[in-house]
Amino acid sequence: MSKTDCEHVLQRIELYLDGELVESLRIEVERHLGGCDPCTGHAEFQQRLKDVLRSKCGCNEIPSELVERLRASIEPPHGHRA
Amino acid sequence: MARSPVAPPEDPALRERFEREVLPLLPNLYGAALRMTRNPQDAEDLVQETYLRAYRGFGGFKEGTNLRAWVYRILTNTFINSYRKKQREPVTVPDEDMPDWYLYDKLGGANAEASAESEVLEKIPDEDVQRALEDLAEGFRMAVLLADVEGFSYKEIAEILDVPIGTVMSRLHRGRKALQKALWETVRERGLVKD
Repeated sequence: MSKTDCEHVLQRIELYLDGELVESLRIEVERHLGGCDPCTGHAEFQQRLKDVLRSKCGCNEIPSELVERLRASIEPPHGHRA
Repeated sequence: MARSPVAPPEDPALRERFEREVLPLLPNLYGAALRMTRNPQDAEDLVQETYLRAYRGFGGFKEGTNLRAWVYRILTNTFINSYRKKQREPVTVPDEDMPDWYLYDKLGGANAEASAESEVLEKIPDEDVQRALEDLAEGFRMAVLLADVEGFSYKEIAEILDVPIGTVMSRLHRGRKALQKALWETVRERGLVKD
């Protein structure tokens, strides 16, 4: 595996993991990762970083009284029929 | 509170559809609002204002287009117009010269036991990861929040933030690097790795 191949792949890892690479480049990156442990290590780490952000920054529970307040805020007055 | 020129939907069916489709977005919207405002009270107010604005505008929303992105655009615009002024200055501004694989290298990268460096990430307390994201300068924080936490595509983020896709890409790249540095500081402070 040439150093240049690895450099090219590592430059595209973010786009690859974000699902933003065009098909032909995606296949190229996948083929490279299949045979290159160091690049695979980098890719797995970057993916883990994304996963950690998602799980740790998206875990706050919304207060249930806020949901109720919002639900009530668009209800028509009680007994009203449009 | 600012008034929208669009009246709320009179049609009960439209109101029901709004509830059915927008209520399920609330938990994520609240999380995103917390990361934007960095304050639970402001986050509640921001979600409430977003919800009411979306309700008023829902009659003009085209069915079949991207509802989630539409609601996040309202959230983002409401934040920028009403809450940004109150914000304390963020402390993390991306450093141009930082290497791309800063955290991976710091954690041992190729020399570490398989996946050991990834396990360190899991050990960082939720609040520390949240603070690292919240401390990022706004443009970078929004890009990383929308991509990594909310899972939007580059095109959707470009529409939500009203910037070109190239700007989204560069903010994401630089924002993620700055985040790696902040996380490394946390890892050291918490003693999660031996120096």
